[in-house]
Amino acid sequence: MAPVLEVTDLSKVYGDVTAVDHVSLSVEEGALFGLLGPNGSGKTTMIKILTGQIRPTGGSATVLGLNVEREGLRVRERVGIIPEQESPPSFLSAMEYLEFVGAVRKIPDIPERAERWFDLLEFGDKKHVLCKDLSRGTRQKLMFAQAFIHEPVLALIDEPLINFDPIMQDVVKDYLADYVRSGRTIFLSTHILEVAEELCSSFAILHRGRLLHSGPIADLAEKGLHLPEFFLSLVRKG
Amino acid sequence: MPELFLRMMKEEWRIHSTMFGQVSFALFPVMIFGIAFMGSFLLPLLRSAIPSSDLALMTHALFLMLGFMVGGFGLLGNEMMNRRFGQASLLTYSARSLPLSEHFIFLNFVAKDTVYYFFLWVFPFGAGYIAASPFTGTPLFQALLLLLTLVLSFMSGLCVVFLLSALYIRSKRACWLSVLALGAGWGGLAILTGTNPALLFPPFLLYSAFSWSTLFGLCTILAVMFAISIVLFSPETAGTTKHYPNTLAPLIRRVAFLPNPPLVAKDLIDLYRSGIGIGQTLFSFLIPLVVIWFFLSLVGSYLPPHGLLFMFAMITGVIASTMYTWVTEFDAFGSYACLPVAVSTLIRSKIATFSLLQVIPAVFIGLVATLTGERAYILPAVVLCVSISFYAGSVMAWLCGLSPSVLVYDVKVLFTYLILDGVVFAIFSAVAFANPFYALSSVVLFIPGWWCVKAAMKRWDAVDPAGF
Repeated sequence: MAPVLEVTDLSKVYGDVTAVDHVSLSVEEGALFGLLGPNGSGKTTMIKILTGQIRPTGGSATVLGLNVEREGLRVRERVGIIPEQESPPSFLSAMEYLEFVGAVRKIPDIPERAERWFDLLEFGDKKHVLCKDLSRGTRQKLMFAQAFIHEPVLALIDEPLINFDPIMQDVVKDYLADYVRSGRTIFLSTHILEVAEELCSSFAILHRGRLLHSGPIADLAEKGLHLPEFFLSLVRKG
Repeated sequence: MPELFLRMMKEEWRIHSTMFGQVSFALFPVMIFGIAFMGSFLLPLLRSAIPSSDLALMTHALFLMLGFMVGGFGLLGNEMMNRRFGQASLLTYSARSLPLSEHFIFLNFVAKDTVYYFFLWVFPFGAGYIAASPFTGTPLFQALLLLLTLVLSFMSGLCVVFLLSALYIRSKRACWLSVLALGAGWGGLAILTGTNPALLFPPFLLYSAFSWSTLFGLCTILAVMFAISIVLFSPETAGTTKHYPNTLAPLIRRVAFLPNPPLVAKDLIDLYRSGIGIGQTLFSFLIPLVVIWFFLSLVGSYLPPHGLLFMFAMITGVIASTMYTWVTEFDAFGSYACLPVAVSTLIRSKIATFSLLQVIPAVFIGLVATLTGERAYILPAVVLCVSISFYAGSVMAWLCGLSPSVLVYDVKVLFTYLILDGVVFAIFSAVAFANPFYALSSVVLFIPGWWCVKAAMKRWDAVDPAGF
């Protein structure tokens, strides 16, 4: 299958901190790809670069054939994104926020689409509450809905399950599995290894900005390894 | 108390130095000192046109407004930091996690604001004046007295804002009644004594005729106001489950004639629901302008006929240009990170919202012209005011992008802003004083203004947005 996302020798330096250090990887269409790493390993920086929010210091990256540095806006038009911090605008209600996203993305039938998300993620009773008054979990549901409401072919999602209770995690995991079964692609950043092992078809491990490993999850199973122990052994070696 | 106070001071320093670098920020008081020092040498020239007492009065008014602004900014700090840095938290809002009472924390906050901004603004200004006094022949006692009364002016502004905002949180009606009572009391006193109300401003009274009893009385009033603020203070309440009707979609349709209607509609809803629109109109627009009007009316006799109206229209324009900060200060690009929105698109939409808000200064100047019996000059005065505002707002957008309220403390930015605005202010003062109708020519300012907007869009698209 053709890669939907390709990263070549990518670097990002902030002052004297190297957040991403010469990383190369690719993600094929229809994959549920997990970018794993401890806190501060460069996962969020990678997602920001791949969605054209910040510019790389070196190397290059393409998403859906678009150069992220030159065509960042077009990348954000075509993909869905859940940022690290759930930050919907404070003074719009949940429903208004989805309408706002719909208006910016020029999506038709937003009220109907929004209702489907309120039902799926079970927060219809909060749709007219201001975002600033929503709990973290509900804000995360809202950010999840805005990322998928336009049914993108690729979604880049940063720690999407972290504020959900176990029931909601189950709903979301099922949704993500169905999503990739329909031929679309997920680029998931997380440090919850059990979730990655359960969901992902392939993965990469970042540590201190450097790529330690990249490959299919199935390769681990063939070697009789589990992701958590493999991850810990690699990261501890540094 | 000292521990929390010192940490709040450190926190305030770090907020500023993180935003624009330690050296650049450390130079800010040096610049204020330099302006005051060099400005002192211009006093003999100014005194030939305006009496020194009027100059002193205007300086006191400036520091009163500085107190208003610092007080307002401090109380809104947490929301602003959250918008700029994500999940930021200030010590002021730590009552829920520390074993300290809200009132104790607020007391430290008041002390911190007073001391911090004293060293940032007031002391450098007073020190510059004092340092120049041996060369300008100003008696040292007078220079020291000015420093004292400027501190009191600044603190008057701070404590009025603290008191009104503490009242506003408890009861909006009580806040408005207090504003009315304060205005009525001051106005009544002015009528009874037959004096311009500005001359009754207590710190200025103290400067004009120092006495220990006046100083004691003034300090007591300020202490009582601070004490009432601290007693009444109540931090923001926890989240509510109030339901709001859907107003975004109809509003988008109403502003469809503007560029980026969804973004403009969101800004308008933000202004309305956050209370920023009303709060800023009161604290950052109407109150400062009413104060300026009183102080400016003292120099009316030194201006050409109708000069006062046009001078006021220009000052209103400059103050109205800060409405660009209203629409940017509670918004950071991070909120748009997951949407196909460029920084340039945001700047354009903010300028569109800013342009809509210009109805406020236009109506205000129209009313002033009507009330002062200069209805014939409404059109040129409004055109001058709005043109200056658009130009100054656009310069701000060019220099600061989406962060005008934080970049103002960058010495280079502030200096460039003051020069660019100062030149235009000087030119159009002369033009309007020559003939009121010549002020209509200020529409040409929309050309450099629009150029600045275009340059801002290009410039700020080329850098990683703040807040990431």
